[in-house]
Amino acid sequence: MKAMVMDGFESGGGTAQAVYKAVEDELKSCGCEIESFRLRDLTIADCAGDFLCWMKTPGTCVVDDDNRKIARTMVNSDLHVVLTHITFGCYSSTLKKALDHLVQNINPFFRKFQGEVHHEPRYDRYPRYLAVGVLPQSDKESERIFQTLVHRNSINMYTPAYKAGVLYEHQSPDEMRQRIRGYLGEVGVRQ
Amino acid sequence: MTSQQKVLLLVGSPKASQSSSDSLGTYLMEQMASKGLETEKIRIHPSVRSEEGLEKLFAACDSADILILTFPLYVDCLPAPVIKAFECVARHWKAAGERKKKMFLAICNSGFPESSQNETALAICRQFARETGLDWAGGLALGGGGAIGGQPLKSRGRMVKRVMTALDMTATALADGQPAPQKAVDLMAKGMFPSWLYTFMGDLGMKMSARKYGAQKRLRDKPYREGNAKAS
Repeated sequence: MKAMVMDGFESGGGTAQAVYKAVEDELKSCGCEIESFRLRDLTIADCAGDFLCWMKTPGTCVVDDDNRKIARTMVNSDLHVVLTHITFGCYSSTLKKALDHLVQNINPFFRKFQGEVHHEPRYDRYPRYLAVGVLPQSDKESERIFQTLVHRNSINMYTPAYKAGVLYEHQSPDEMRQRIRGYLGEVGVRQ
Repeated sequence: MTSQQKVLLLVGSPKASQSSSDSLGTYLMEQMASKGLETEKIRIHPSVRSEEGLEKLFAACDSADILILTFPLYVDCLPAPVIKAFECVARHWKAAGERKKKMFLAICNSGFPESSQNETALAICRQFARETGLDWAGGLALGGGGAIGGQPLKSRGRMVKRVMTALDMTATALADGQPAPQKAVDLMAKGMFPSWLYTFMGDLGMKMSARKYGAQKRLRDKPYREGNAKAS
């Protein structure tokens, strides 16, 4: 199984490092082939909202930077994992900058899906989606929004399975690892 | 004696011109100005790209009594630079300590006909207000925002009548120190077109735009499929 990991933490120390390491170890123990993107070190322009990736170069962002490699890797993966601090219920801006470019992986045309209007899928299959969000401590409203956001993304990105997992900074590496193992199990990735 | 109330419009669209978010915000600011409030507008995207831009953003947010954010829906939430602005302003206020009370209203427009698809984005704005101690003045959700085409609302005729009425009601409430009334929220949510008409026009418009680039026959291309990832 090919797994893509997008590390959307703003910096690499402490909790971020522990979460990344736990995810990497668990994926390896499941036999996954991993391709990681440490987003804070990559060159990714803000999405310009010009829709040229739909109407001029269909399926490819006109800006030739790391966003293209990320989008290409996503559609050729079986599992898409994102790691982020939860900011106001949302992804970090570092992660969101990369996610904004994934519109190139869907088609512009509208269709009804699950009772709502969405854009058509561009590809015949998309990866399972695991979003791991980190909070300093429990915040029910922030967690609820994050889980809703991941659910909404799973609809628009036609993911066959998804999970929004929430970790807390005070948790030990072992506790984080156990939770991550559970999250992976929920999207069908098992040892 | 009360000093003149200041309203800051934060535009969260990447587009420097022809932005529907800007059209909505500008109309609302015109109504606020007509009620005697002082208004200022800042575009978020260029602001978060430099220290100088951020300092100007902080100063404008500090001095405002009412903050109004208008933005397009991006991947079910806010565009990345708007989230960055939230992160930076929250850190700035945390470091600065005490500050005056402020109201915060958000307007989200999306390319989907259903305004309900904007709910998560507005919940994130409400959470920003909660975590930074702003008084939440409500969220207005508009579906099919692309139909405004970045033009001034007053030039769009009957199509935007409900939208303008919702913004008129919102301006009156904010000027009185009140949140947007539910009637304004409901009016905005009704949108401008029936869903079938919006999607028909949207698909047609995309084909016509692609024709300009000679790409009309490639709209469903799959440039990244390598064909070697196996379904598991």
